[in-house]
Amino acid sequence: MINVDVSQRRKFFAHGNVYLPHVVTIEKIVEETYDTKTFYFNFKDKRLREEFTFEPGQFALFSIFGMGEAPFAISSSPTRRDHLECSVRQIGRLTNAMHRLGVGAEMGFRGPYGNGFKLDLFEGKNVIFVAGGIGLSALRSLIWDVIDNREKYGRMDIIYGARSPADLCFKYDLDTWETNEAINMITTVDRGDENWTGRVGFVPQVLEQVAPEPNDAVAVVCGPPIMIRFTFPVLEKLGFSPEQMVTTLEKRMKCGIGKCGRCNIGNLYVCRDGPVFTYAQIKNFISGEY
Amino acid sequence: MAGNKKINKRDIGKLLNEWNQGFTVFVPSREDKVTAFAKWDGVNISFMEWHRNTVIPPKTNFFPLMEEMFSFREEEDGYHTELPSSDKHKQLIFGIRPCDAKALSILDMAFKEGYEDPYYLSGRKDSLLVALGCTNPYDSCFCASLGGGPFDSTYVDIMLIDIGDELLIEEVTNAGRELIARTAGLEKVTEVDEARAKEVKKSSYNKVTRKINTEGIQKKLQACFEDKDFWEKVSAKCLSCGICTFLCPTCYCFDINDDSFKKQGARFRSWDSCAFPIYTRMPMENPRSEKWRRVRQRVCHKYEFFPTDFDVIACVGCGRCIRQCPVNWDITEILNNLPAKA
Amino acid sequence: MEQKLRQEAKALLEQDKVDYIIGYEKGSLKFTTTPLITKDKNDVDRLVVNPLIVNNLSVFLTEIRGRIGIVAKGCDSRSIISLIQDNKVSREDVVIIGVPCSGIIDLCKVERLVGEERDELDDVTREGDKVAIVVDGRRREFPIEEVLFDNCLGCKFPTPQEYDVLLGEATSPVSEMTASRARIAELEGMSSQERWNFWKGEFNRCIRCYACRNVCPACFCERCFVEETEPQWVSPIPKWQDNLMFQVTRNIHVAGRCTDCGECERACPMNIPLRSMARKMYETVEELFHYEAGLDKAAPSLLTAYESVEAEDLIR
Repeated sequence: MINVDVSQRRKFFAHGNVYLPHVVTIEKIVEETYDTKTFYFNFKDKRLREEFTFEPGQFALFSIFGMGEAPFAISSSPTRRDHLECSVRQIGRLTNAMHRLGVGAEMGFRGPYGNGFKLDLFEGKNVIFVAGGIGLSALRSLIWDVIDNREKYGRMDIIYGARSPADLCFKYDLDTWETNEAINMITTVDRGDENWTGRVGFVPQVLEQVAPEPNDAVAVVCGPPIMIRFTFPVLEKLGFSPEQMVTTLEKRMKCGIGKCGRCNIGNLYVCRDGPVFTYAQIKNFISGEY
Repeated sequence: MAGNKKINKRDIGKLLNEWNQGFTVFVPSREDKVTAFAKWDGVNISFMEWHRNTVIPPKTNFFPLMEEMFSFREEEDGYHTELPSSDKHKQLIFGIRPCDAKALSILDMAFKEGYEDPYYLSGRKDSLLVALGCTNPYDSCFCASLGGGPFDSTYVDIMLIDIGDELLIEEVTNAGRELIARTAGLEKVTEVDEARAKEVKKSSYNKVTRKINTEGIQKKLQACFEDKDFWEKVSAKCLSCGICTFLCPTCYCFDINDDSFKKQGARFRSWDSCAFPIYTRMPMENPRSEKWRRVRQRVCHKYEFFPTDFDVIACVGCGRCIRQCPVNWDITEILNNLPAKA
Repeated sequence: MEQKLRQEAKALLEQDKVDYIIGYEKGSLKFTTTPLITKDKNDVDRLVVNPLIVNNLSVFLTEIRGRIGIVAKGCDSRSIISLIQDNKVSREDVVIIGVPCSGIIDLCKVERLVGEERDELDDVTREGDKVAIVVDGRRREFPIEEVLFDNCLGCKFPTPQEYDVLLGEATSPVSEMTASRARIAELEGMSSQERWNFWKGEFNRCIRCYACRNVCPACFCERCFVEETEPQWVSPIPKWQDNLMFQVTRNIHVAGRCTDCGECERACPMNIPLRSMARKMYETVEELFHYEAGLDKAAPSLLTAYESVEAEDLIR
């Protein structure tokens, strides 16, 4: 049977209808890269502003009324709740429309959906974050949650890479994490430019070089599908078991609640049973279905 | 069975008229050039002369081809959204076949689990299914292989059995019993009638000749999941259109799109199909751009994934997919010839 | 013809002249045939030729890569030539096994004629210019014109125009055009308001299954205009306006490449008379450009080739 407890999320439904979005207003826009923006937004409804909560790793469906909806991870930290954030790469019809919005514009928001990261899986363990490109936005809420509760966790490694220096997202965060002594921050790019003095190399290769220890560790991976597919074998080689590898997946979504049928991997729906999965859960379907 | 009633086929109009007072009655109809369930016009009972199921399944009554989810408009102070009126009058589906009724119970599971789907459930609640058992199954029907049958009454409120000039009325659920109790003009059933009904049921069951073997089918599908050669072979002639999925009574995949003009519009949901290449398309990749993966998904969702979550195969053997497919792609042929893995 | 077909197909596979054979085999329902696509020479004994081989198999040529031995009736062979004109298929990559066609039987017409569904029929056979239908042991005969598909009536090119092997003697048209375009004539006789109302009613039923598009050999675009999101030409929501828009645009896109094979109408599960629209477009192309698709593989594809000296009588 299905193990989804939605009872406590019903209080975030608009008028008792799971498909009806709330209206949110954009408060600030940060240009991360030439094609990625982070939107800071808040509910128009005061009660929601105060009561809304979510777990790191959950996502929401954002609407541009008249255009459609798309899923984005809620990339702000659940512990810092004066606003919410999502990061959007400009890549299609809806995201192009989102990028044309300015501060003060309104969007639709419904969520939070998905299973989020189970923090008790990570407590007491060394956590290794492996992210690529905008994949970092899906892990960001977890990273900040771990930093804000640092004493509950062991070592913290972040390996982050992008195609080029111009594609690095959340540069302000990367700088902060670089200077944080409790974090081992490694940034890499696939190709450098004239000004780049840091590491050059694909994320899976850099991971292999850094070679984190698998004992008492959990690896959290997010990035383009091809990066994820190459990262899992590296982690296996380093001695991580499939239960020690966690990822958050992205699929085309419409309903976000496990009904419209399209985001499935086998009998698991990325929106309902995920988007956070362990490698153990999906490895039988990995070839081709993901 | 004591308490069963019967009615002469000539008097069906009177019966439906009575039921029309408390329900919106839907009957099989040929009005729109293709057979489907439509609101009864109050007069026409020619559907009693057909012996077959409709092309369009009655899932349209609860999960229509397109449905408005909510409307929105932009005003000076921002966006406002509005839900459509949830005034869904109680529906009585007359002449539904047992396979389609079972299909509705499968759709119920999908739309109820986890987050409840308000649009489907508001229509389904209080609906009544008055089934007509099949005395003349098509050669494409294979309901008997999936635990059902032409007179399977498990998922209906009332079962009607054609015993010649009359229909024997079997009350199945409390709702069905209550409806019959307050219906006038019904006659009592004789022993001869009951014997005839039993005979009709048995002979109809034997007419379902197409069979599939569902024993261990989940394991068999799991075992051949990676067998690209097999799936490429069986999917070769598929055209990736949506006929099988749209006419399937248990298929429920949908798409959500907005329709707007100037400052107002609405969000709609409409039928979608896993057979379409763009069903899973993302900007940078498409996990099922290859046809064999989509065909595999369709078969495995019905016979492996859905049963894993809900303990029931998401197929009722109605055979519409086989009859209407432009290339006669046949799911029973695939299921009966799965590669045997050592 | 079947024997010859099976021998040819087997030889082609054995001599490695083709990678695939695409033909017809007996279907899983009464009086149905289904495409057979195989690399295995042992499968060729399932190949059939009869008046029920309805599919236009050339639709698979743009999907299956490799050298293909394909069974083609008159209309199908024209679709193949049209694909060659479009540079989608190379002549060297196909071995066309031509079937001289005397018309294909439309089971829906048979059902209407005898008032029984196909499951109740014992037999349907063609005998010269008659069809014999047996129901409950009782045999009835009808003129063949009453049961053939509309586009088979008045078909001008029943024998394949281009072939490597011809399985029999060339055939001649079954009847002249009038019967074939009876419905179109009816539509032409309507006022434009009546016609608009007619099509509005028809497209209210369309469920956007895209069978018409997917069964059409001329619709081979990897990304169809309905799937385009920037801009969104047609809404995916199946309202009649967008359904009509889709079909009209599709007809315009295949104009000059449609060979009136009738598959779109046959495939439509909602009984929308799509061929009326397609055939009208076909005739409009013929009238304006004096051109019919798929007759000459060396001819440039009508609407994608340009010459500085062109017919200009269409500019009025």
